[in-house]
Amino acid sequence: MSLAKIHMTGKRPYPPRVSAFTRRFWEALRDGGFLSTRCQRCARYTFPPKPFCPHCWGREVEWAPLSTRGKVYSSTVVHAAPEIFLHEAPYRVALVDLVDGVRIATRLVGAKDFAIGNEVEIIMLEYDDGPLFAARPL
Amino acid sequence: MPAPSDTARRDPAASAAGESSRRRRARADKTSTNVAMIAAAAVPCGRLQTPETADVHSLEHEVLAGCVLEAVGAAGVPKESIGALVFCTPRAYTPQLYFGTFIANYLRLPTDGVLMEVLGNGMTGGLAFDQAAQAIASGRAEVALALGVNFETATPAPAHMNRSMRATGDVSFQAPFGFTPISWYAMDAVRYMHEFGATRAELAAVAVKNRRHAMLNPLAQFRKPVTLEEVLAQRPIVEPLGLYEVPPRSDGAACIVLASERVARELRRPYVKVIGRGFHHEGAHQISEVPNDMIALNAAQRAGRAAFAEAGIAAADVDLAEVYAPCTIVEVLVSEALGFVPRGHGAKAAAAGETALGGRIPICTSGGLTSRGHPPYITPLYSFVELFEQLTQRAGERQVSEAQLGVATCELGNYNAALVHVLQANG
Repeated sequence: MSLAKIHMTGKRPYPPRVSAFTRRFWEALRDGGFLSTRCQRCARYTFPPKPFCPHCWGREVEWAPLSTRGKVYSSTVVHAAPEIFLHEAPYRVALVDLVDGVRIATRLVGAKDFAIGNEVEIIMLEYDDGPLFAARPL
Repeated sequence: MPAPSDTARRDPAASAAGESSRRRRARADKTSTNVAMIAAAAVPCGRLQTPETADVHSLEHEVLAGCVLEAVGAAGVPKESIGALVFCTPRAYTPQLYFGTFIANYLRLPTDGVLMEVLGNGMTGGLAFDQAAQAIASGRAEVALALGVNFETATPAPAHMNRSMRATGDVSFQAPFGFTPISWYAMDAVRYMHEFGATRAELAAVAVKNRRHAMLNPLAQFRKPVTLEEVLAQRPIVEPLGLYEVPPRSDGAACIVLASERVARELRRPYVKVIGRGFHHEGAHQISEVPNDMIALNAAQRAGRAAFAEAGIAAADVDLAEVYAPCTIVEVLVSEALGFVPRGHGAKAAAAGETALGGRIPICTSGGLTSRGHPPYITPLYSFVELFEQLTQRAGERQVSEAQLGVATCELGNYNAALVHVLQANG
């Protein structure tokens, strides 16, 4: 299953730094996937992906698809934005609890009547210079 | 395997009876020196920094040196007695680097104990106090200064946030979405209103209360009265919080003088004892990737319990608290986490006046971060200044009557870490 895409004009205002390790996440995202790492010893996911398990410090981790569904734990609209984001303000950000039991922080797009507990899906924002992920109400 | 005494110290929530006997034993075994606060000085919070292009600049070290001379003069200790200097790291906008060692030269102040700069985001000033206290407790110094200057207002907020967003979020997996430092607190507010049915007006009441306190504080940045209607009518900054419910931009400078209780006693003036300390970092940055109860402020709960246990007090014994609360919601959550008000009742208690001067447990009699001002790296030093004035009974019009026990908190992130001190009046 491939993530829904939204085309964005221009470049990402603050592009992520990509390492040889996290490149896999960003390349998968570009191709419509949403991955993270899971520990082969304790089976727990972590996010962002890491070359070890932060829970048990095991080094044996595997890349695995992360759930793309979740619920909004909380959210706000940023009106007073950093300079590099001023052209996008106001914008909504949110904390999303994914079905796999991982809490992430991301943009929330397309939410006119927002409420805590809303079910959302992870989508891909396709900028000129690369992808970002975001959440969107189902 | 930790020794049994270690286990006891790590679990302040152990049963009350067992804990008190352990505490008595710990006191009997205690070899560290009791720590006292003997003086404090600060400049009023406000806009002190000059633009880079100014012909005449206000200089960080000139302002801070003024605080040092005022505080040490008020303490009545000789310059030569100062054995430790713990500086808050200045902001990146301060051109003078290696600021601590520069000041040691500027003041011609040699030290045998330690000289260092500490950094821990909003907790920085609290860490300076904590390390200065540690220098006294360990016997490395008889007198120690916790001091700092925070100049930043010449950089406009949007440009400043390009930097500060990198301190309050993962630069690759959170910052790209535009989270600002206070956006996390705003999400606390949304969650709190959802879970406990608190209203916008109840949260906003915290700002009105703190402004009333600030009107009585000469160190406060904003001293004109505001009404609840005015607070609610401000433009939104991070929803639901408006301009008066978030911190202002502030510069400031402060110096706290700590000493061994032996030195403090010989001065024959009122002083303040440091009787409890607790710290907890929850091993999370802004959010826990494992979903948790974000607004319980787990770190503040644990640090508070540890500090209260060491001091041998309960929340109900406390006369006043200076809590580090950049936004109205944060004061509400900390007041609950420390046990001053029941869970879910913090906003209602504030609206009912329980946390105001004259109320059951006055919180932020200085005016708090929203009105007293918020020069972030040294903000906790201003909390200690306020508690020193209150606990030596010289807070003037805002004096909490017969204040004996005060609590200071500071934090970083979204209260991912908390540092709590319990202070007691002496004389």
